[in-house]
Amino acid sequence: MAAFLKRKPRLGGRRFALLTVAPATILLVGISIFPLAWALRLSFMQDNLLSIATPRFIGFANYGHLFHDRLFWTSLGVTAVFAISVLTVQLVIGLVIALALDRLPRYQQVLATILLIPSILSPSVVSFQWKQLFDYNNGVLNWALGVLHLPLQGWTASARGALPALVLVDFWEWTPFMVLLMFAGIKSLPRPVFEAARVDGSSGWQVLIFQTLPLLNRVIAIAVILRLIGAFKIFDIIYSLTAGGPGTSTESLAFYTYVQGFRYFDLGYSTAMAFITLILITILARLILGFMERPVGRPAGRTA
Amino acid sequence: MATALPAIERGRVAATPVARAGAGRWLVYAGIGVAVIFFLFPVYWMLITSVKPPPEWQTNPPIFLPSRLYFQNFTDALFVYNGVKGLMDSAIVAASSTAIGMVIGTLAAYSIARFRTGGINLSFFILSVLFMPPVAVAIPMFLFWSNLGLVDTYLALVVQYLIFTVPFVTWLMKGFFQDLPVELEESALVNGASRLRALWDVVLPSVRPALVATALFALIFTWNEFTFAVLLSRGRVTTLPFILPTLMESHNILWGDIAAIATIGALPVVIVAFLLQRYLVRGLSFGAIKSS
Repeated sequence: MAAFLKRKPRLGGRRFALLTVAPATILLVGISIFPLAWALRLSFMQDNLLSIATPRFIGFANYGHLFHDRLFWTSLGVTAVFAISVLTVQLVIGLVIALALDRLPRYQQVLATILLIPSILSPSVVSFQWKQLFDYNNGVLNWALGVLHLPLQGWTASARGALPALVLVDFWEWTPFMVLLMFAGIKSLPRPVFEAARVDGSSGWQVLIFQTLPLLNRVIAIAVILRLIGAFKIFDIIYSLTAGGPGTSTESLAFYTYVQGFRYFDLGYSTAMAFITLILITILARLILGFMERPVGRPAGRTA
Repeated sequence: MATALPAIERGRVAATPVARAGAGRWLVYAGIGVAVIFFLFPVYWMLITSVKPPPEWQTNPPIFLPSRLYFQNFTDALFVYNGVKGLMDSAIVAASSTAIGMVIGTLAAYSIARFRTGGINLSFFILSVLFMPPVAVAIPMFLFWSNLGLVDTYLALVVQYLIFTVPFVTWLMKGFFQDLPVELEESALVNGASRLRALWDVVLPSVRPALVATALFALIFTWNEFTFAVLLSRGRVTTLPFILPTLMESHNILWGDIAAIATIGALPVVIVAFLLQRYLVRGLSFGAIKSS
């Protein structure tokens, strides 16, 4: 009896473990691995739904074509602009606001939640709000510029202003998310370290640069990776606010992939681009993780 | 924060003049104030537009407070511009995908947390699905659904959203299960309960708040989802995020009516966020940063 009791959970455990994990695994293989494999196959095919020609295998031609496609490089540039905005402005301002929040005597949590609102709204709601503000004749932004006697801007409607306008929307939508992560990171730091440093006579800036930031590197890495992936996926606000225009000035990688696949129905070409995006995301995430995992400011022992 | 330091230490800290510390504090207040105004103004503008009478919708100079509250925008939005349909479709898709995702994901999470099923590879695979750009799988999935004649159906969107809800639930719940002492279900097992019974009767009740939080997050994400909603719809299944851009395309934009629909779409999400304050970080960083 005792032996039976002891054995049963273990035997039952193994089967139970496999059975419970099976639905998720099968489903995810079905709706992610399988379509990805299919997409990989497509990316080596000449397959355009608009052409009568039967799909045929063309090797790396789609990928080769990408290198000569000016629009592909434009979209890569647009994506890079969003990525750089994430790595500089969003990261720095996010950190500054988080540090400021941490200094408030009260209402920290409530304010962090209120500030988070832009990040949790649907992208189409966000797009609508900014469409209101960007309106040339009746938008609040141009009204404010007029009051200040500054030249009015075309915002999303102007060739030169559209990309900066979208970067502004992206900043507005996602900096709050950075703030929340950094704020949580700051809150999880061991307080005594700072008090000791202050007692030693370190200035606020010294504490920030030599104590706080190195301890935050993991949180910063996660925030930056999540946001960089977001930058490479950026599609929603472009779709709603500029549709890639004027011209092709705001076509990101994801948007150009969509245009090729869902407007020109060039499936092979579109999937090839999707794969390049995937590869770029993977490389970037690895680089950042590698960079952040360096034992800076970590207790000794890891370096040894 | 300035916790009470012993007198001597306080003396040393005060190397920075008191006046500057005061100025620093006002700088912090001013900074937070600017941030709150900047990040909330567009939200305020949407809210206020949704209750403005048509002549005040979008004017120059702008009207910061409407002359009267005009709720007809909401009735128009709901009954003239298919807001009801949008709400229903969003609710149906979000709720179904969340419910299915919760069952499948929680089971997998428990298995991975307790038995390390599939090892690091399975965990990593599940997490990586979350980070795949939707456009990468959109074309094969679109072909798949159209071959089955299921493009533009609830089924297609619900299943498609599982690509998000299942890994999200799995990853988040895995963390919560790992925080739970094993002794809890061991005693139930020793008393003769089956694994499933132990999970249902002992484990799940003790992570109830985590389950609720996870489900609410999944609801927010599916309620808000944009890319698949646009790519897999042709006008029959029209979630709120799908409707909004179509309304914004017209030449004579009905600002107040669209603002009303957008407000209806935004309100539940904001309410849920305040309910979830404690779990925000863990949920939004996909559990990558633990805190609660």
